[in-house]
Amino acid sequence: MRCRSLLLLGAMALIPLPLLAQTAPTVGLRDNSPDFHALTGARVVVAPGQVLDNATVVIRGGVIEAVGANLAAPAGARVWDLAGKTVYPGFLDAYADVGMPTSVPENGDRGPVNWNRQVRSFTSAVEEFSDNGDRSEELRNQGFTAALALPRLGIFRGAGAVVNLGEGQPGERVVRGDVVHGLAMVRDNRAGPGYPTSGMGAITFIRQNLLDADWYDRAHRAWAAQPDGLRRPEQDRALAALVPVVRGDRPLVVETRDEDDFLRALRIADEFSLDLWLRGNGFEYRVLEQVRAAGRPLILPLDFPSAPNVSTPDATLGVSLEALRHWDLAPENPGRLAAAGVEFALTADGLSNGSDFLRNLRTAVDRGLPSDVALAALTTTPARLLGVDRTHGTVARGKVANLVVADGDVFANGTRILDVWVDGERFQVNTEDGLDPRGRWVVAGLGDSSLRGELQLSGQPGRLSGTFSAGGREVTLTTASLAAPSRRLTLSMPGDVLGQEGAVRLSATVEDGTLFGYGELPDGSRINFRADRAASTPETGADPGANGNGNGNGSAFGTGNGSAHGQGTASPTGDAFSLSMVDGRPSFAPVNYDDLPPAMEFGRNGIPDQPEHVLVRNATIWTQGPQGRLENADLLVTRGRVAQVGQGIEAPSGAEIIDATGRHVTPGLIDAHIHSGLSGGVNETGNAIVPEVRIGDVLTSNNIWMYRQLAGGLTSAHVMHGSANPIGGQNQVVKMRWGALPEELKFEGAKRTVKFALGENVFRNPNRYPNTRMGVEQIILDHFQAAREYVAAWDAWERSGQGIPPRRDLRMEALRDIMNGDISVQSHSYRQDEILMLMRLSVEAGFKVDAFHHGVEAYRMAPELAEYGAAAVVWSDWGGFKVEASNNTNYNVRALLDAGVVTSLHSDDSEIASRMNWEAAKMLRTGVGEEDALNLITLSTARVLGIDERVGSLEPGKDGDFVIWSHHPLSTVTLADETWIDGRRYYDREEDLRVRDDVQRERARLLQKVGAGR
Amino acid sequence: MRKHMDMVTPTLPNRITSNPRTRMDHRTHPRAHPWTRPLGRFAAAAALAGAALLALPAGSVPGTGLDAQVPAPRQDRAVALVGATIHPVSGPAIQGGTLVFENGVITAIGTNVAIPEGAQRVDLSGKHIYPGLIDAWSSVGLFETGGIDVAIDQNEFGDLNPNVRAAVAFHPESRHIGVTRSNGVLVTVSSPSGGLISGMASAMMLDGWTWETMTIRDKAGLVVNWPGAQSPSNYNQALADLNDAVATSRAYLAAKDAAATEGRLFATDVRWEAMRPVLDGEVPLMVVANDVRQMQDAITWAEAEGMRIILVGGRDAGYIADYLAEKEVPVLLSSVNSRPGRNWEPVDHLRALPARLHEAGVRFGISGGTSAPYANRLPYEAGVAMGNGLPELEALRALTLYPAQFLGIDDRVGSLDVGKDATLLITDGNPLEYATTIDQAFIEGRDIDLMDAHRQFYERYSEKLRQLQGRPVL
Repeated sequence: MRCRSLLLLGAMALIPLPLLAQTAPTVGLRDNSPDFHALTGARVVVAPGQVLDNATVVIRGGVIEAVGANLAAPAGARVWDLAGKTVYPGFLDAYADVGMPTSVPENGDRGPVNWNRQVRSFTSAVEEFSDNGDRSEELRNQGFTAALALPRLGIFRGAGAVVNLGEGQPGERVVRGDVVHGLAMVRDNRAGPGYPTSGMGAITFIRQNLLDADWYDRAHRAWAAQPDGLRRPEQDRALAALVPVVRGDRPLVVETRDEDDFLRALRIADEFSLDLWLRGNGFEYRVLEQVRAAGRPLILPLDFPSAPNVSTPDATLGVSLEALRHWDLAPENPGRLAAAGVEFALTADGLSNGSDFLRNLRTAVDRGLPSDVALAALTTTPARLLGVDRTHGTVARGKVANLVVADGDVFANGTRILDVWVDGERFQVNTEDGLDPRGRWVVAGLGDSSLRGELQLSGQPGRLSGTFSAGGREVTLTTASLAAPSRRLTLSMPGDVLGQEGAVRLSATVEDGTLFGYGELPDGSRINFRADRAASTPETGADPGANGNGNGNGSAFGTGNGSAHGQGTASPTGDAFSLSMVDGRPSFAPVNYDDLPPAMEFGRNGIPDQPEHVLVRNATIWTQGPQGRLENADLLVTRGRVAQVGQGIEAPSGAEIIDATGRHVTPGLIDAHIHSGLSGGVNETGNAIVPEVRIGDVLTSNNIWMYRQLAGGLTSAHVMHGSANPIGGQNQVVKMRWGALPEELKFEGAKRTVKFALGENVFRNPNRYPNTRMGVEQIILDHFQAAREYVAAWDAWERSGQGIPPRRDLRMEALRDIMNGDISVQSHSYRQDEILMLMRLSVEAGFKVDAFHHGVEAYRMAPELAEYGAAAVVWSDWGGFKVEASNNTNYNVRALLDAGVVTSLHSDDSEIASRMNWEAAKMLRTGVGEEDALNLITLSTARVLGIDERVGSLEPGKDGDFVIWSHHPLSTVTLADETWIDGRRYYDREEDLRVRDDVQRERARLLQKVGAGR
Repeated sequence: MRKHMDMVTPTLPNRITSNPRTRMDHRTHPRAHPWTRPLGRFAAAAALAGAALLALPAGSVPGTGLDAQVPAPRQDRAVALVGATIHPVSGPAIQGGTLVFENGVITAIGTNVAIPEGAQRVDLSGKHIYPGLIDAWSSVGLFETGGIDVAIDQNEFGDLNPNVRAAVAFHPESRHIGVTRSNGVLVTVSSPSGGLISGMASAMMLDGWTWETMTIRDKAGLVVNWPGAQSPSNYNQALADLNDAVATSRAYLAAKDAAATEGRLFATDVRWEAMRPVLDGEVPLMVVANDVRQMQDAITWAEAEGMRIILVGGRDAGYIADYLAEKEVPVLLSSVNSRPGRNWEPVDHLRALPARLHEAGVRFGISGGTSAPYANRLPYEAGVAMGNGLPELEALRALTLYPAQFLGIDDRVGSLDVGKDATLLITDGNPLEYATTIDQAFIEGRDIDLMDAHRQFYERYSEKLRQLQGRPVL
């Protein structure tokens, strides 16, 4: 199809017979208006960086026949005098939804489709395209002449097509079909309820469907090769459509919402060797290096955030520095990407108001995006990406006549797009330059009219306002409007100014520097008048020509120390708040943020240095190991590992020495159960059994809690799935490496864990099995039996190699890994009966429970837990908040320790995780000893999570994760002075005290800037 | 400027009364490797006092088979506590002081005190005496278990409930009473919530057979939930409703007074009737407000109406500290050991708030502000303020004297002074510190049973462990 139309294009250049490309018969008279045009005298930007002055573009039959400087218009062509105008190749929007449906079929999709309506890969833009009410005109007004139309429903969205943005039947508008498949990172509620409900669920769902597409292909081939005696595999148009994607033969474009999505999508692409394009999100500047290294096609939106509300001091309290920074930096995103050498296409997608595109584009150019790069991002780059570069993207002989005509540099403020040409058809966007009546006019009545005065017109051409003054009096115009095509200006105003009661109505024709008109006065008399432009310059901005072609000299980017990824916490390199006035407007020094993640308050630019040796001297050291608690002792950490603990340790040369006299040192604290630091929801509720979803897929670095937790001495934590499922998702052990990317937060080599949950939370949903504790037992048992059968089926197939290959099922694989002991079971629980049930069930089903979390009644099961060998991970004092939590006791830990159960404290709470030492301290009043209390948040927790070889105590060889406390770590007055992870100082209270001032200064400065406008 | 703070070394608490019913035997070091022995300190004590424990009446906490604590008998004999460090909080600490109380009231305090004839003399050398702590914004007695609406007596129907009083719904056998008391909180100001005008908060002492005998003051403050300003139209409407409620109350009371003068019949409205002591300035408003705008608008409103106001919550009080000091409006902070409300605020924003208010001269107290099961955490809320710059005495006063003054119960509680109730704690250190043990408590001179549901659970399941004696569970 594509080849054929290219051939036709070639033929048409020689024999322009339009009907050759059309099958529909004529109805009524034929329209054979001339399609032979010459655009003359223009400045033609034929391609980025290539300009022809005083050039002519000849168009015939929708195709460019000739382009050249000083080329005479061919005889017979309709001549368009574009002297003083600039012609560009028509823009291509590489990610649009023109003509795409906005809802799924009400009564279900027809034919063999996927069980899950989120998988809509069987849809195709060519089939779905409708020109009914599409947004073509809105895009055209911004200079776009063609776009990738991509279906937008579901997670797997179907195949996109390039369409032109003219007017006509879909058949005339589709340029190229099946260009790329669409993918979302989040469920689409329009496609119906159900699995996956969460961000992590969506990622697993994507992975499972890619596996399914691969299996679908192999299964059908196997069956086709040898159908005898085999059950026919199911038919599924959605999976069939994904086969070329999973084979890498067709690209997939994923829509990302932030930098986290971006990095997550890259991981999926690597896992499945996909030809992945990314629809960006505006946050790429935060992960510039990763975006550059990925080297994948990028389509960038320009939806800059709107200004935060700074109207009152109450409102500014609620504005975060993160939001302010992004408001300030988002326009610099394209420029930074360009400077980093990242190639991208631009899209108007994501703008709530499509007409903001040009304005935002110019802001981006003003903020460092070279205009040539901007033009390439709108023409040649998307043309190549979308596979239409033979026909689109430049102004060249033989290419489609898609053009933009502007009255100046299209990247400069004030320039207007006059016309857009699509397939050789002209669409007028704005009326010609010069018809701008704004400014001062001296009005004089003609004949015997007494009208004399001065008219001042201001506002926007489409929304005029103004005043009229005469005889020392001035009135505001009641109405003022301009009908551009007829050049007709109409005004009305109160008659007071002329000493009459009532309205004066005037109407005039706008000509060069002159108005000629007539009007009616309140007394009924009719007058004629003339007005001439006053000599003085009109107010700023009134004259669009005054802006010239300036390309933004105020680029804030690229002037600073772009390589500053050094130590310390982010602060603007500029000094304190500086504001000066330029031309009566506040002007701000450019900002040079050192902005690696986390790009927020207290953000640190990358991870801190690791000194070769760190020696902490003369502290009370709680080793939590065999050495016990040592007074006046030293701790030596070498290259990130504990080297020695003891008294009088000799300082290696070059060691960083910390005098901790009178202070205390403990191992870094560990929280066995938190839910902060992830995005897209903590629960996958779309199914009762979801061990296939993974918290590790949705970690985020933009998590202020991590900083607060560090400030409380926390160095590691177990980020857990929620408790909505008898078998929930896989958890992730992290280190609190504030400043690192999400992948770098993961605790290397930590055992995989999975969340189970029992009791009220899992049967709260009345529409889902189970509804009782009885059902909880059965559904867990049933799934482990299924997993056993799954493993058996694979074994059988792998032995025989016969028949249809089994499908890989991520859920069953996770259950298999649980049974194999590769995934540790960590179960939410409250009541003693359910704790006992799961211990007994686990024996029958063939898995082991490593820890019961919450365990409000664990003290009632203490001997059983000790005998079975499960740990208890409990709260210090939570209870009473629901029925199953009402038999709590603050002596829970004490009773468990009495029975010899490995016991840990957890927070299950972002805030409490920032003060776990006090959770442990609460145990003192129940008779727990001090070092045993500290064990609850260090060594015992490490044992629960299976990371005690690495952390939890200060013993030679273990990680250099430790805290220096101002006082006894279990005292109410203690503060974490320093928190070290991997032998790096991630938190320093003295630095924090400085940075909080920086945060205030930077906020103040940005709040002022917001108030002054972008 | 870092100082080493030694933990208070736990010492053996002295037994001062013999109440074999519940007294723990403290002969073992409370924190000396407690689980190297299979039975802990309390279990051992339970074994010693086993017969007495078993003799407790059973089953008064539904569904548990456990017993709430038995209220203590009235003080029948003068008691002289001798030799302790006394922390009156109204004045400086008295080393080696003596405190005498009789008929529930403190009769003498100082270093040179005559011990009355026949008084029980208790040597407390090395110990400390503090006033009982006050949770000035609490739900103890009104809230039993979350998730069950009918177990929560806080939110009456409708927006305007000035006439309801917490005291009459205070459950004397709530499980949370004992647990709260064990951590040194002997008085709660239990508060209704919900609606605009939630009702009267009542100051309750945490011991007694009935709510009647437990009540210190049934109308301690009228709780008003200041509306949120996020939606301007809703906010303006709520303010109009509040203004209207006050105007209607005044009109009602004027009409009633006029009717009385003229001897006419008058139809009663219990809601407007209940506003009289508030409008007279006798009962303060307890206005729950956290945002700057809420606090300032509430003060403006109360001033315009001539009502006394206490702000409750006060998360953003630090931003208007000088204003609050100037207005002399007291604040009952409700979350100190907590998160900053905003990402850009420093990590210790709320923990340092008390110190900030203190420096600015704002009068403030610290309350629990959480649900009844967590009222026992109150000491730690003030303790963390101490660690963030609040002087120790001020931290103590924020839990005792100041809230008592704000709520008009300082004639009874809040400090150790002659004439006040003997509602006090005997400890081995500052009760705001985690390591401190609360040895004993008196409420109105009554020797309080510090057994509570948590310890009873512990002892019961220690018995399970003991019965197994290391044998398999089946």
